[in-house]
This record gives sequence, structure tokens and C-alpha cells, in this order.
Amino acid sequence: MTTFLQFLVYGVQLGSVYALLALGYSMVYGIVRMINMAHGDFLMIGALSAIFIAMGFSGFMVDGRYPFYIVLAIILSAMILTGLLGVLVEKIAYKPLRDRPRMSSLITAVGVSMFLQNFPRALPFIGPQPRPFPQLFPLIQFRLGGVVVTSTQIILIVVSIILMISLDAIVQKTKFGAQIRAVSFDKDASLLMGIDTNRVISYTFLIGAVLAAASGIFYASIYPQVDVYMGSWLGTKSFIAAVIGGIGSIRGAILGGFILGITEILATSINSNLGYGIGFVILIVILLIKPAGILGKTEIDKV
Amino acid sequence: MAMLEVKDLQVSYGAIAAVRGVSFDLNQGEIIALIGANGAGKSTILRTISGLVKSKSGSIRFADKELTKTPAHKIVALGIAHVPEGRHVFSGLTVLENLKLGATLQNDEARKEENLKRVFSMFPRLEERITQKAGTLSGGEQQMLALGRAIMTDGKLMLLDEPSMGLAPIIVEEIFENILRINKNGTSILLIEQNANLALAVSSRAYVLENGIITIEGDSKELLVDERVKNAYLGA
Repeated sequence: MTTFLQFLVYGVQLGSVYALLALGYSMVYGIVRMINMAHGDFLMIGALSAIFIAMGFSGFMVDGRYPFYIVLAIILSAMILTGLLGVLVEKIAYKPLRDRPRMSSLITAVGVSMFLQNFPRALPFIGPQPRPFPQLFPLIQFRLGGVVVTSTQIILIVVSIILMISLDAIVQKTKFGAQIRAVSFDKDASLLMGIDTNRVISYTFLIGAVLAAASGIFYASIYPQVDVYMGSWLGTKSFIAAVIGGIGSIRGAILGGFILGITEILATSINSNLGYGIGFVILIVILLIKPAGILGKTEIDKV
Repeated sequence: MAMLEVKDLQVSYGAIAAVRGVSFDLNQGEIIALIGANGAGKSTILRTISGLVKSKSGSIRFADKELTKTPAHKIVALGIAHVPEGRHVFSGLTVLENLKLGATLQNDEARKEENLKRVFSMFPRLEERITQKAGTLSGGEQQMLALGRAIMTDGKLMLLDEPSMGLAPIIVEEIFENILRINKNGTSILLIEQNANLALAVSSRAYVLENGIITIEGDSKELLVDERVKNAYLGA
């Protein structure tokens, strides 16, 4: 039982990383009906930029640790930087293709993904080799019964959940959220309401990339090694999570992320090879039962 | 001075010319109708006025501003409310959310409230269903919602694309009564209708569109008895 609970903690922790990343896939798909294959790479950019920003702030270290407000500054600036990159990618690569067949933007996204991985790889000060991630969060261990929980885990899970709840509240409750939902239902009708749809789409990419950066920083805080390819396989898994939950749905992405993270860890605890495949097994089973994902709506094309 | 002036408008979809040199105008407070068969280019003209489709050449002037180079969301701000064919309500959003989206550009909260009251007084059924998802409304209710949303934009000119489409006669009557009320409150209306009898009955002037050009124009009363119009569109 204790072992199970211990693994559950790891599962929730990994699940929140998947969920944060899955949100971007889902939101972007919801609003422009495209699968942003480069979304996972925003996670890597987020983690990588946090490393360099942290290096820039190394003068502020006290006893080999960053004070709280510096950690906050590092994380926020990495998030903003990645968010702006997301907006830029949309403007340069995806927007010109918005009214073209979907295959064009899908292929472009694959190209953007390759660029985002290989451009930093080619830069001499980044390169292909993995680099260590600085310890941003305190590592105090708590024992609850037999279960060990670290302060890093608590911070990470709590902050992720806060981010998810705020995003859901923004989308469901605010005027801007209503605009996002309106654009995802009907772009032309949104224009006729006076909504600047391009702006709404830009903000969606911004939010997606910001959350991806957060998930990258959190992931690197658990497994403190960053290389330029980490976004690719984490992205694939989070995309699976988004599809499991129902792509286009925010709550679906969160649910899918946690389902995938928890089952993956539990499966790994049984057999370390099982973890890799389990995501696909869940995906297939869920798609057989509910083709649109758990919370997804089957789209009916109206005449 | 005309409120809306369309001159020599040409619109193409790729190689296909949908509108081939159309000119007409609309005065403040008027209801004018565009009638014609499917594919004559009526909807394209409305979509070009509201900026959803770009014109190939020609000009559209509204309140002294050229619209052909203005993006769609800015045209709404100038005071043009377009109720598209097939209503296009936001199906997954509630009735109230749909109406509030109509007031996206409205900064005057009091005016927003006033318009909302106007919508509910015209269509009490919408008020009963404010928390219902728009996609679950009946066709007539969706048309009411689309009109209500247009009222919320506070436009001076309303473009109505087939408001009677697919609706029962009794609902059509209710919708058109309210269109006339909207007009009496000072909103000018450019109406497209398949139902030419109805269109000519409510409008002061009308234009007949065939294959992207205007073939007949005149006072609606005269067109109602015009032999060519009668034979082609009135089924008499």
C-alpha cells in the first residue's frame, strides 16, 4: 500500500507535467484545428532558457541557492520568453497557411519542430549534449506514513494545479475566455461580433507556450537533465494525453495528462519496459470506446 | 447622401466570378431587398460588405468610409451588423454568452443592458433560455438569437441573409414583425430573401440579382406587379 501511494505521488507529479503540456495541444487544436507538432519543443525551449537565465542570475545566489524571488523571476522570464516564441512561430509559420489544406500546416509544424531542435543544437554554446538543470526548488523531505514527499514535488503539483484551475476559470468565466470559445466554434461569426480573431489565436499560442515552458521547468526539476530532444518524446506523450482526454477540451487535457502520468508510473513499477507502451494501450482502448476521447465531443458537420 | 454605397463591385472565388459589377445604395432608415435565385451572388455581396470576403475591384462606402480594405472586425465597429445565412450561433455557448459576445466592442455598460432588454422584449423566449446552450435551440430560436446578437452589436445597418430559411410560417411572421421593429428603432436593413413576396412586402426598394449582376431594380411595390419579377420569382 505504501509503495502504491509512493508511486501515486510520482504519477501525479509526472501527470501534471503531461497535463500542462497537453493543454497547449488541446487549446491550439480547439481554436485553429491544427495539431501543433512543435508544441513539445516549447517545453524544451522553456527548460533550456531557464538554464541560461539562471546562469545570468548566478550572482544572486546565497549559499549556493537561489532566493525565492530570483527563482520566481527565472521561471517567469523563461515562461514569457517561450510564450513570445510561440506567438512568433504562429505568426511566421502557421498563419500564412491558415486557409490552406490542413496537411500544409501539419507538415510545417513538423518543420518548425525540427528547426527548434536542431537550431539550438547547432549553436556552440548549447550543443547536442545534455546539460544539468539547476536546482531551483528546495529539496526538503517529508514522511507521511511510509510515503516520502519532497518539497519540490509539493510545489510542482500545487503550482501546476493552480495554473490549470486558473486557465479553466479564464476560459469558462471571463469575457476573453468567451471569445476564445467563440473563435473555436465559428471564426466567421466571431469576426462579425467584432472579435479580432487573429489576436485571440495569438493569445492562445501564447498561453499554450507559457504552460509548456512551465511543464519543461517542472520536468527538469524532477529529472534534472535537459537536451534539445526532450520536447519530442514528452510532446508525443502529452499529445496522446490530450487525445485520451478529448482533444479541444481543456478539462480533457488535464484529465488525460493525469491518467497517462499515473498509469505510466504504475506500469513502470511493475516492469520498466511496460511504462513506455502503456500510453498507447490506454489510447487504443479509449478510442475504441469513445472515439472523441473521454471528454471530447464528436463533431457533427452541419450542412 | 446614401448611407451605404456599393459601386461596380466585383468578387471572385478563384477563377469563378460570383459578383460581376454590382452597384446599389441604401439610405438611412431604409429597408432594401436583394432578391434572386440560389448562386446569384446575394450572400457574396453581404459577405463582402462585412469583410468576410475580399472584393476583386469596386468600392463599398459606408458612412463615408471605404470598407473594401477594412478587416471584418473593424467593420463591425463602424456599425454594420451581419446576420449570416444559417444563423451561425455559437452552438456550445449559452444564449446569454452568445448575446454578450454581440456586445464585444460595447464599452458603455448601460447601453449594453439597454440593448439586452430590447432583445428580451422582442424575443421573450430567449430570456427564458439564457442558460441553455445555443446548439440546443430550435431553428426559429436560433434565428432570434442571431438577430439578438446583431442588435447587441449596436449597428446602424443590419445585413440579413435569409432570415426565413427553413422556418415554419408562423415563426417567419414573428421574426419579420421584429425585423420591422428593429427598423422602426432606426436601424437600416439590407435584406436577402428567397421568399421574394415577403422581401418585397417589407422593403421600400429592391434589386434583382441574376448571375452576379443586377438586372432589375425599383420600388418594391412596382416590382411586386412587374411581369418579369412575377414570372421568375413570385410564382404567380
